[in-house]
Amino acid sequence: MAITLKRKNPVDLIFSSITGLASLSVILFIIGIMYVLVSESSLAIERFGILKFLSSTEWNPVKEDFGALTNIYGTVLTTVLSLLFAIPVAVGIAIFVTEIAPNFLKGPIGVAIELLAAIPSIIYGMWGLFTLSPIMSNYIEPVLKKFTANIPLINILFQGTPMGIDILTASVILSIMIIPFTASIARDSFNLTPAVVKESAYAIGATQWEVVKNVVLPYSKLGVFGGSVLSLGRALGETMAVAFVLGNNHRITTSLLDAAATITVTLANEFAEADNDVYLSSLFYLALVLFVMSFITLAIAKFFLLRAERKYSR
Amino acid sequence: MLEQIELRVKGLNFYYSGGVHALKQINLPIYRNHVTALIGPSGCGKTTLLRCFNRMHDLYPGNRYEGEIYFVKDNILSPQTDLISLRSRIGMVFQKPTPFPMTIFDNIAYGLKLKGIKKRSDLSERVEKALVHAALWDEVKDKLNASAYDLSGGQQQRLVIARALAVNPEVLLFDEPTSALDPISTAKIEELTATLKKEITIIIVTHNMQQAARISDWTGFMMLGELIEFDGTNKIFTAPSEKLTEDYVTGRFG
Amino acid sequence: MTIFQRRKIEGTIALTLSTLAAFLGLFWLIFILGDVLVHGVKSLNLSLFINDPAPPGVGGGGLRNAFVGQLLITICATLIGVPIGVLGGTFLAEYARGRKIARMVSILADIMVSVPSIVIGTFIYAVLVLPLGHFNGWAGSIALSIIMIPVVLRTTEDMLTLVPWTLREAAFALGAPYYKVITQVVYRGAATGILTGILLSIARVAGETAPLLFTSFNNSFFSLDMNQPIASLTVTIFQYAMGPYDSWHEQAWAAAFVITIFILIITIFGRLIIRWRYR
Repeated sequence: MAITLKRKNPVDLIFSSITGLASLSVILFIIGIMYVLVSESSLAIERFGILKFLSSTEWNPVKEDFGALTNIYGTVLTTVLSLLFAIPVAVGIAIFVTEIAPNFLKGPIGVAIELLAAIPSIIYGMWGLFTLSPIMSNYIEPVLKKFTANIPLINILFQGTPMGIDILTASVILSIMIIPFTASIARDSFNLTPAVVKESAYAIGATQWEVVKNVVLPYSKLGVFGGSVLSLGRALGETMAVAFVLGNNHRITTSLLDAAATITVTLANEFAEADNDVYLSSLFYLALVLFVMSFITLAIAKFFLLRAERKYSR
Repeated sequence: MLEQIELRVKGLNFYYSGGVHALKQINLPIYRNHVTALIGPSGCGKTTLLRCFNRMHDLYPGNRYEGEIYFVKDNILSPQTDLISLRSRIGMVFQKPTPFPMTIFDNIAYGLKLKGIKKRSDLSERVEKALVHAALWDEVKDKLNASAYDLSGGQQQRLVIARALAVNPEVLLFDEPTSALDPISTAKIEELTATLKKEITIIIVTHNMQQAARISDWTGFMMLGELIEFDGTNKIFTAPSEKLTEDYVTGRFG
Repeated sequence: MTIFQRRKIEGTIALTLSTLAAFLGLFWLIFILGDVLVHGVKSLNLSLFINDPAPPGVGGGGLRNAFVGQLLITICATLIGVPIGVLGGTFLAEYARGRKIARMVSILADIMVSVPSIVIGTFIYAVLVLPLGHFNGWAGSIALSIIMIPVVLRTTEDMLTLVPWTLREAAFALGAPYYKVITQVVYRGAATGILTGILLSIARVAGETAPLLFTSFNNSFFSLDMNQPIASLTVTIFQYAMGPYDSWHEQAWAAAFVITIFILIITIFGRLIIRWRYR
């Protein structure tokens, strides 16, 4: 429905131009961020190249030798773990809210999920530090360690002293943080399933669970997948929820009970105190890597969500 | 006429969760191996009545039935009724085609798998039989593994009928099955009802009076939640006993 | 066991698990909110709001500087971000409706909503902190407004799109130029929706920490000068919670309590408005 009015009115011309500029600001920001990050990190790009920077595990401000791999490793590991915890719970919540909950519970639980999503990440982080971390180190981690001690391969994941400041704790907090977000997208996708298709599954004698499993889930898989990727994109860039409980340890470790560093945590801890050009430039380089990673992830997510929308809103 | 009664509705009242009294004191026989049409202006309760036969209203909380519907000997409105087995005996086809997000084969095999049929050869055999039955086999036999969404609207509707037939229901409920279809597809589905009734009982809701006249043996005319008249289709359309029925079938309102 | 029984048992198990998942989600909410509430209320006192911080480790003192700074940064961010967001959304829903450019900006804005906020902090650091040579409040506000703009822009677009086209036609028929139709008729029709979008975007940025860490930085003294580093609640929470003193931890809890309550109230208020209007 494009509008083809002749804009004779001069005020209208001005107003439309202003609104046009305002909307272009979004594009300007994206281009600006990209440009600034590239130019600020040019020193580090020249010095360390692209592949070498991405594959180097060095992070040594004294020797001015920097690589991104420990940070990327920490980012990817915490993100993937948190999604592993979050997605089943989020899908469960969405099933509960759309299919199981009696009407009088649907509203309140929906609101609770929205509220959980509104709590700022710094609250999650602080709560993680003061409340969850001691629980993890005193109860959960020792138990995990004990039970996995004799299982080959798995026990590698739980080596070292349970301190509570580690990858596992950070991933748990991150997952709690993305659960509401993932759940609300999953719920919206479930709601796209036409009632009449569900009814026709009931009409040939399917149980409630069979309707969910065979109709609702296949119907909304694009949306749920897109939502999960969107959560992934969000989790990649989350700073405060993990900054409190991850330590800031530039090492690649196989144990989930070790401290680590993500790109965001490194930036949060070191950016304001970087004392030389190469150091600062390398931090900008890290930010650039993060920006590209999350932008691509988010674009993929958006692609799937749009396809899901188009496919079912015919 | 020595007809066997498949379903008998006795003193049925139905209330939606908001308290709306949607069906008032309905009494009605449904004869075995016949087609019964329910007609009436929109909002008259014909679809509501249809959805009582497979207890579809139970999916939404707060809806309430009063009275009885006997399916041969059992009252299906009794709280003891097992809805899952009831619905595998009384199938339903909706206004818009409702294929599941699966292949053509799996759509039809779905109900069979629910019944515990697992052997591929048994499944294939019964899927083919259902598709032949629904006059769709020749059109889809080479693409059983294609998505059901690739079919045209009319084909999808016959797929849905085949899916309902596959589980060998005793009764099939049609809720305005052709209202979203083109005339050619409509004709195919009307032909289909004529062959199907040799084996099963059909209840069809339609807003198209010519359709009711063409395919049904019995017709119930409903208005404002009440069954105004029920009789042989010929009688309803040629010599109705109620003034309201006459006004409606002659197109004076509605 | 018959196939029917088996199917029913399978269903019951699966649905029970889903229910448990929902309650697990609720459990976290109650756990976190309860914890913030209990600790926060314990540490809450008047001194927190009227005094500036005492020297580290001394105890006592308050966070007046951070409350005021947070308010200032958030208000400035809102004043910058909301007009740009609303106008941008207007372009997408009105002048560019249905055009490719509208669709593209809309998709990019959706992506921008989720771009890591710390990256925006580094961007503003390079643009507004490095050239000036010092951290400053404006940098923080602008960083937050960049986060705000796409949120406001997208809600505005959606809300304007919901306004029936016939309403515009009716206004055009009276001979009004498009800008008058938009400002006098369309905005009025979408006002509550846009207001909700603005409220939710304020809630979103009020809790942001990462983009402030190296823009507005922090300041342990009271300051209203947006050209200088300025304290914010969130950065203070980060600093105090990670710090070694118990008195800092208590104040961090109290600040967390205040900011959480503030954000939840705005969020609930925003949802209520939209419910009143659209149901």
